Amino acid sequence: MVLLSAPRWLRSRLTDRFWRVQEVLKYARHFRGRKNRCYKLAVRSVRRAFVRSTKARREKKRFLRALWITRIEAASLEHGLKYPAFISNLFKSQVELNRKMIADLAIYEPKTFKSLAALAQRRRQEGFLAALGDGKEPEGIFSRVVHHY
Amino acid sequence: VAKTSLTSPPWPEVKLPDPVEEAKYHAEVVQKVNKMIATGQYGRLFAVVHFASKQWKITSEDLIMMDNVLEAECGDRIRMEKVLLVGADDFTLIGRPLLGKDLVRVEATVIEKTESWPKINMRFWKRHNYQRKKIITNPQTVLRINTIEIFPCLV
Repeated sequence: MVLLSAPRWLRSRLTDRFWRVQEVLKYARHFRGRKNRCYKLAVRSVRRAFVRSTKARREKKRFLRALWITRIEAASLEHGLKYPAFISNLFKSQVELNRKMIADLAIYEPKTFKSLAALAQRRRQEGFLAALGDGKEPEGIFSRVVHHY
Repeated sequence: VAKTSLTSPPWPEVKLPDPVEEAKYHAEVVQKVNKMIATGQYGRLFAVVHFASKQWKITSEDLIMMDNVLEAECGDRIRMEKVLLVGADDFTLIGRPLLGKDLVRVEATVIEKTESWPKINMRFWKRHNYQRKKIITNPQTVLRINTIEIFPCLV
């Protein structure tokens, strides 16, 4: 005898509800309050936690760069240079270390950082001299500076 | 003529040292460093290497993990060529921007090629019934830096 449709007492019931719930609760075990035990509250908290972690992965890069810049600024002020002067002169002398490296060197290799600061200071002075020029006046001008004889 | 506040410019006057004397001093320093390298009077060397679009500060016998695939089998020896800085206790060699290949040699071995821990990427807009969950595992490679060598060929 072939049954063309399933009888009414045959139902497909969910058997692994426990494990489906545990999958979500395992991410909430370290939360505070009832959201580490109750599924309904945990689902919302876990969802927010995941979304926040995805967004934080993008912000982490910005945050770390700001941290490195702060550290480099502190270290270069110890050697008498401000951060913009230090970084710009270092790039002008073709040293292409990124901020993470310079911050690590400032922490773990103080002598190397001192030499980098000296390099930047020297390049800065050379830049000033190059900008000031020879001190001569351009041609065709009658007189620009009053000379006292 | 009396000195007023405008006789000299307000910025401090900058004087560079004499170029001839400076050149002599530089040559002396370079010779000293060359001798030190030749006799081997340095302890542990550290190097700053540009690898996998990142800069790493490495010494010998340390591990590096990259977040991408390297086309080399496990156990292959690799020479890293883009060295930005090499230093020891008493001297540092700063590259502008890279140091020469005949000056530094950095060797590494590929130890392990795995995937990262499953990171969860989730997007959710409230009140719009929109949520997407994606699990990402990045391929990772672990390298062990074997040696950093410098050769005394400074000019």
